[in-house]
Amino acid sequence: MSLFIVEAVVIGFKEALKLALVWLVFSAFLLEQNRQKLIIPFYWGVFLTFLLSLVSFFIHPDLFVKDVFARLIGYTFFVFFIGSVAALYQSSGVRLFRFRLNDTILRPVVLLLTVFYFLPDIVGSSLFIRELSLMKESYAPVYVSALTGFVVTLAAVVAVAGRFRRTLGKFFGIAQFLLFLSVVKLLGGGIKGFAELSLIPSVERGVIKFVHDVVHQTFVFLMVPDHPLLRVTVWNFIGILFSSSFALWIVLLVVLTPPVMFLYRSFTARIPEPEGVLTGAEKRKIKASIKRDRLRKAVPVAFFVCIILVSWFSGRGEQVSRFYNPKPKPVVEDKGVVIIPLTDPAMDLMDGKLHKFSLLRGEDTVVIIVIKKPDGKLAVCLDACEICPPEGYGQIEDNVVCIYCRTPIPIETLGQKGGCNPIPLKATMTDRDIRIDVSEIDRLWQDVRAGKTKEIVK
Amino acid sequence: MEFISVKDVVKEYETAVALRGVDMDVEKGRWVSIVGPSGSGKSTLLNIIGGLDSPTKGSVFIDGVDLGSLSEDAMARFRRENIGFVFQQSHLVPYLTSVENVMLAQYFHSITDEAEAVEALNRVGLGHRLHHRPSQLSGGEQQRVCIARALINSPKILLADEPTGNLDRENTRLILELLKKLHSEEHFTIILVTHDPFVSKWAERLLTMEDGRIIKDEPLYC
Repeated sequence: MSLFIVEAVVIGFKEALKLALVWLVFSAFLLEQNRQKLIIPFYWGVFLTFLLSLVSFFIHPDLFVKDVFARLIGYTFFVFFIGSVAALYQSSGVRLFRFRLNDTILRPVVLLLTVFYFLPDIVGSSLFIRELSLMKESYAPVYVSALTGFVVTLAAVVAVAGRFRRTLGKFFGIAQFLLFLSVVKLLGGGIKGFAELSLIPSVERGVIKFVHDVVHQTFVFLMVPDHPLLRVTVWNFIGILFSSSFALWIVLLVVLTPPVMFLYRSFTARIPEPEGVLTGAEKRKIKASIKRDRLRKAVPVAFFVCIILVSWFSGRGEQVSRFYNPKPKPVVEDKGVVIIPLTDPAMDLMDGKLHKFSLLRGEDTVVIIVIKKPDGKLAVCLDACEICPPEGYGQIEDNVVCIYCRTPIPIETLGQKGGCNPIPLKATMTDRDIRIDVSEIDRLWQDVRAGKTKEIVK
Repeated sequence: MEFISVKDVVKEYETAVALRGVDMDVEKGRWVSIVGPSGSGKSTLLNIIGGLDSPTKGSVFIDGVDLGSLSEDAMARFRRENIGFVFQQSHLVPYLTSVENVMLAQYFHSITDEAEAVEALNRVGLGHRLHHRPSQLSGGEQQRVCIARALINSPKILLADEPTGNLDRENTRLILELLKKLHSEEHFTIILVTHDPFVSKWAERLLTMEDGRIIKDEPLYC
């Protein structure tokens, strides 16, 4: 079986599993709330989602639309997570909302939320499958993915139809259900097949970028030319603020604080005294049922806290060992051009890893970096930026990281000029090699060497 | 329908027949005594009414619920919420204090409430013995803890099997007076098994058993 087919199977399986899980918990939740009729708009929402994903499959959306859908996954997580936090707050005894929506209002709400929840993933996955089928020049990945999805969904639905749901429903209030949806989105929201099964790296990247911008904007506000002024030792300390570890702890703090506070309250909050003329035993029975309900509702929250912790730390464990900084390979000038082959027996530029090449120019060694971007194109840059001293870049997963100031740069943004990005080089691509004019390298390197770019920053 | 209804109950063991077709109805809030010689089937009948044992044949209804139709879990829940037991032996947990023994019954019913347990012990006259262990209590006091424990969950029925069997006359009288007071206040149904005529006379109705059958059913006026 080719890699394309395996990848199609994985994507079909993943999306079907998410759909089946959400169906199971939602139907159990509705059963417990005695609102089973609301499953109908859910089914319509799923149907509409698949219809829209079919449309997107055939209309060939541009990169901007694809990017919007990829971002929507993150926003969906955010919306459902905020919703769950609000509902957790409400269910812990604080009355945020005093209304109870009737089914007439809830029907369109459920339909729209179903589309909002599933559309980014299903469209993203179908576009990815489309790219696979274009690469394979066959519709096989499409059929395989659709068939896998259908079989897995059907099997899951048949396996649990009528079972567990009554019991399962007791564990889910609206808060727990929304939290479940956001956790499913967090752990299964990635649309890049093997490469990104979850949203966790994106969330971490977002936080890193945010912290990085806050640090630099603070320096700008204070009119301190940070990069030229501060030495690498200082940056090693400041860089901790936008390192993966820091982002990990920030994200964990933000994501885990509400559920942990909910758990704390579940176990410690006083149970209100039942009202009415009741015997002591009747009062205790009511209190016991409130306590039992609190404990049940705490179970999924505690479970999600554990899952998030495990996922995050397992991701972290992989990351620690993945800082990659290859030794530059020497290349030489040939008639004013540097030629780098796309492949040779010891190297493949299309493998997604960072590649470095060194070129002797007088007393200097100029380093060039080449890496494949997610869109399949190659980024060719100097191993230096306009701001920091030319210490170069390493790679951690989907980022290249400035060794001087620890700033992570998403690989998809390579080729863009300015800021902390490596300085892009104009290069000509053929189907066998990359060709870079030495005059272009010399010009840009002289700017770096003379600190011209840093003068501009100053 | 009667509150407790026993219909044609037979209980057979491998080597003996304990009950041979017992029929009995008890109205809500009544105090019924069952007397008879040893081996007449009194305790077996009490255990079957309390769901501690099941009949070989026949059925028992309590407040309209057919005990034979309940699963093991449902039976345990039903017992916990509807029936209180007092036996000849106190069966108190020896390393727990009086109040803790009462709270243990609360724990198995729902949740514990120490103030309520203390109040229950006050009502049976043991407010000064709250933190004493069973070994530090007299037989009469132990039995009073048992009554507090049996009534803490507001059962609809109190089943008492020779509750004063180990007590002297003075303590027997104290226990029966206590039961009478609680019965008049809370109106639960009492079925009390004894072979002591002094004890049986405190009831409103007397059933006499012999050889697995009820041979006499008479009202008592005390």
